Amino acid sequence: MPERKAKPPKKPAPVAGQVPQAAPAVPANGKSAPKAEKVGVYVCHCGGNISDVVDVDRVATEAAQLEGVAVARHIMFMCSDEGQKAIVDDIEALGLDRVVVAACTPTLHETTFRRAVLRGGLNQYLFLPANIREQASWAHPHSPKAATEKAIALVRAAVAKARLLEPLEMVRVAAVHRALVIGGGVAGLRAALDLARQGIGVTLIEKSPFLGGRAVQLHTVFPTEDLARPLIHRLIRQVVAQSNLKILTNTEAVELAGYVGDFRATLRTTPRGVNSELSDPTAAIAACPVEVANEFDDGLSRRRAIYQPYTGSEPDMPAIDWGACTRCGACVEAVGGRGIELTGEAVETQIEAGAIVVATGFDHYEPRDGEYGYGRSPRILTLPQVDRMLDPEGPSHGRLEIDGRVPRAVAFIHCVGSRQIEGVDEPGPDGKLHAYCSRVCCTATLQAANEVRRRYPKTEIYDLYRDIRTYQKDQEPYYVDASKRGVVFMRFANDARPTVEVADAADYPLKVTVADTLTFGTAIEVPVDLVVLSVGVMPRDIAGLIDMTKAPIGSDGFLLEVHPKLRPVESAIPGLLLAGTAQAPMDISESTSAASAAAAKVTTLLAKNYVEMEPFVAKVDPSLCDGCGLCLDACHYAGAIALQDVEVEEGVIEKRAYVNPVACKGCGACVPSCPVAALDVAGWEIEQYRAMIDAITARPLEAGARS
Amino acid sequence: MASNPADTPPTRMLVIATLLCSYPGIDATGQAHMEYPPNTFVIPTPDPVMFPESFYLYCFEKGIDGILIASCGTDSPYEGSYAQLAARINTVYARMKERGISIRRLKLTAICSVCTKAFLKEVGEMEAVLAELGPVRGEVAAVGA
Repeated sequence: MPERKAKPPKKPAPVAGQVPQAAPAVPANGKSAPKAEKVGVYVCHCGGNISDVVDVDRVATEAAQLEGVAVARHIMFMCSDEGQKAIVDDIEALGLDRVVVAACTPTLHETTFRRAVLRGGLNQYLFLPANIREQASWAHPHSPKAATEKAIALVRAAVAKARLLEPLEMVRVAAVHRALVIGGGVAGLRAALDLARQGIGVTLIEKSPFLGGRAVQLHTVFPTEDLARPLIHRLIRQVVAQSNLKILTNTEAVELAGYVGDFRATLRTTPRGVNSELSDPTAAIAACPVEVANEFDDGLSRRRAIYQPYTGSEPDMPAIDWGACTRCGACVEAVGGRGIELTGEAVETQIEAGAIVVATGFDHYEPRDGEYGYGRSPRILTLPQVDRMLDPEGPSHGRLEIDGRVPRAVAFIHCVGSRQIEGVDEPGPDGKLHAYCSRVCCTATLQAANEVRRRYPKTEIYDLYRDIRTYQKDQEPYYVDASKRGVVFMRFANDARPTVEVADAADYPLKVTVADTLTFGTAIEVPVDLVVLSVGVMPRDIAGLIDMTKAPIGSDGFLLEVHPKLRPVESAIPGLLLAGTAQAPMDISESTSAASAAAAKVTTLLAKNYVEMEPFVAKVDPSLCDGCGLCLDACHYAGAIALQDVEVEEGVIEKRAYVNPVACKGCGACVPSCPVAALDVAGWEIEQYRAMIDAITARPLEAGARS
Repeated sequence: MASNPADTPPTRMLVIATLLCSYPGIDATGQAHMEYPPNTFVIPTPDPVMFPESFYLYCFEKGIDGILIASCGTDSPYEGSYAQLAARINTVYARMKERGISIRRLKLTAICSVCTKAFLKEVGEMEAVLAELGPVRGEVAAVGA
């Protein structure tokens, strides 16, 4: 691997017409800029969170003696008005050229201090944090002396780096005033509506032929007990009414390029096969000879290849399932040839968007064969299936009947496919253990249990749970109500699962056995007619989208936000926002809240005609670059680095690397590829890191000190 | 919490932490007041893929006794960076061997933004390695002698 060696400097001049690099170029002679000589250091007490452990006076005193430090103070709360004013005043009075604040983690107040520095008249990127709370006082509360030494070293390292910082400017990109919303479920609809109402053009794409997502499969929604479909259709009507909102069903994004402010998406729309001229959809559907499992009823019914999930769907017309359709033409013949087209082909269109909202939804956990007896008896169903049965428009017209009889006893089992434990649970059909809580199933289970009890008061209900988590507003009453209605609760331990046996010869066809911890582990056998598995929420397979966007996913398989508290709906990919259950299990109210948050973020992002991004992207020292092109091989992002012609001497044109600051993600993969050390990431330069290492190791450790 | 016996040679550990994964995870460790040895120094980075081999050797030469690369692993938001990083660390190992520096002083790990226990485990394991190996200066000096 090549060492970083400086070459004799040249003085290149960009060829006319080149786009300048956003990050400032290093001085033309290839040498580092002079170190700053007026650093201000501010050590925060954090009201005792730091100063109860770390000797902040000593940290400030030591900092004051460092080379290049003009002032060092310790202040009770640096984030307070007083703390920020001290920075501003010192910049103005002492002419500070760099600022170091030793306080809490930068994720909390980096922006606060940058703004203070800016108010003082300095470039905001001449500020540097030193994290002495989370990484010193809180991590070493019983070692005050060692924590103080560490804080001193961290401040020393921050000062060393700060002295090498250079002013940076945010990268500004022209923004397309349009958003692409992927997913036509409740989250996508909500996000699209909010965006459209803010005057932002929206293209909403939905993979399936119908809007509404999974929410329209429900009969009622908790905690309001509103009928689900009228509720969702109220939202859909509002969406459809927006003049600046384009809806494309049967449509997927097949290519995504570009960056925040200027994404370019290729959309593939599969023909619906049906148009508004279709006068008798019932006849067309009845004529179809093909039958497949009806996903709208979670497999409890069959549908035709030309189908409509329910009357009044949006759009309110059938669609053709091309995977099932044999193109026999029976439906066309049944309607006299009008309104059905079996020969259409997919159409690709390109759109531009300044931001993308991903609202691709979730899938239900599918129990593996034999899990709690699943698949061994038609009397072992999932909760979504039972929800469909309880729906008057469902496959059994609202009757919970098995073989024509109302079950005498029903057992609900919680946490099927959720909170799975290695060594206790076996992986599901996807080969993975789902260790997370699906969050919505407890309330959904209790809602169903209450509904069964309400409709069939003679039916005994047994609720087998590990923990009940009716955590949201107005959900606990479902638990209280179930208790009042006589639902019998049994609790199983984390390491012991109930068993379900099919007992054909017995009075009751199913036997559930549980070691009930509410009765001190007593093994209880419960004979029932129906077992309902409260299945969890699984991340939907959106591998193609993830591959296109490079959006990170978490260990649970859901799309990952930048920070769960501070940036809860932002993906690490600038301009890519998360809405609803693509990110994590959520109920409808949480999904719509997340969707509105994502829409608000997009609105902020696209409020101007440009977006601004942090300037921490790669930069090239053209005086060192010899145009070898190795950095292009190291970079994974199309268009982030290119070679361009530069006039290195009068009349002499040579290739030099050029970084597109918008396409560059700032990972630094290019940096070590350069044999002449011409590349760095602005704000995260290797020389700055070396200076930090020098500072950390500047003092010998005390005898006995160990990492 | 590690003990600090007076006769134990002093050592320093560097943790290279990613801004999106391990740095918040290490913060979360502190927020939970879960203790780890104080001579553990965390430096943040967008992605450790940016460091050339020479940087690691520089750290050892300057007296960093152990380096834990707390990467995002395969959860890295940067395409292909983890594979590149892993390949580079293999090269660093080769160069460490050439210099007589134990390759156990450098470990590539993946720490997520809530992986507090994983972080403590990795720090504890590296701490044990450093307690066994002692300061790196002995190895660097031996090579130079």
